[in-house]
Amino acid sequence: MATKTAKSEIASGFGQRITVAVTALILGAFFIFGAGLANSAVLHDTAHDARHAYGFPCH
Amino acid sequence: MMVRFFLAAIVAGLIAGVFMSVAQEIKVTPLILHAEEFENVGEGDVEQSLSTRGSSILALAGLLNPVTTAYAHEGDDGGTLFGLGRLSGTILANLVVGAGFALLLLGVVMLTGIPITAKTGVLWGAAGWLTFQFLPALGLPPELPGFPAAELADRQVWWVATVILSAVGLYLLIGRPETWSKIAGVIVLASPHLYGAPQPEIITSDVPALLAAEFAVAALATTAFFWVVLGLLMGAAMDRLDEHA
Repeated sequence: MATKTAKSEIASGFGQRITVAVTALILGAFFIFGAGLANSAVLHDTAHDARHAYGFPCH
Repeated sequence: MMVRFFLAAIVAGLIAGVFMSVAQEIKVTPLILHAEEFENVGEGDVEQSLSTRGSSILALAGLLNPVTTAYAHEGDDGGTLFGLGRLSGTILANLVVGAGFALLLLGVVMLTGIPITAKTGVLWGAAGWLTFQFLPALGLPPELPGFPAAELADRQVWWVATVILSAVGLYLLIGRPETWSKIAGVIVLASPHLYGAPQPEIITSDVPALLAAEFAVAALATTAFFWVVLGLLMGAAMDRLDEHA
């Protein structure tokens, strides 16, 4: 472990990488869903202009 | 130690969201406000002339759609989150969208194992723009308030499917060296467009065509700017993580 270089620590362990990947994808999708797609009048009205600006299907 | 990746992505996303808010306020929001003037005129007409076939369908669609048909209805359905004003609501949304796209970008970088650096950041940003903005826009162009559009749920399903297929297709096309993969990538990229996006039955609108053309270009241009900024910031952040690891 002590001989690990910076590069190899970033990439250390396929499992760790996949954990970061899956967590980031789930969290990111949750954010995008809430701001861009969620069918809630309050969320829609708050994010209205941004939804249009990113081309999310709206209205 | 994994937390560093999430923090780096979220910070990059928030900063990109701030840049996007400025670009949007200059290029996009004025067009939305302008279009809403025509949209509200149109709604008045709908109420006055319900006998015509086209507007009765519009009125029916309005009844079926639980989402308010215009920002002007704010207040009728509970108003905005935390009672935010229009601009602050847009900024909040940009910050959340920025963090969201940054996390998705981090997820794909980690999943594919193709590194993002300050040098490759622009390319990753371009891939993100193609995936989330340009390729879905081929079927569903960025729409102004008051535009005719198919059922919301149908469009959202097509949009999500197109984003996922575009991401997979781009990876197969660019991310892998094999010939079969590149051929499969083109097929996957084209598939949602061969299937076709849900289109409205009536395509007339009270919103002037010039505004629509300006808006489509402004939306794609500002999101391109956003994705380039996000890609560069993510790349720079990952370079720093590499140095300090």
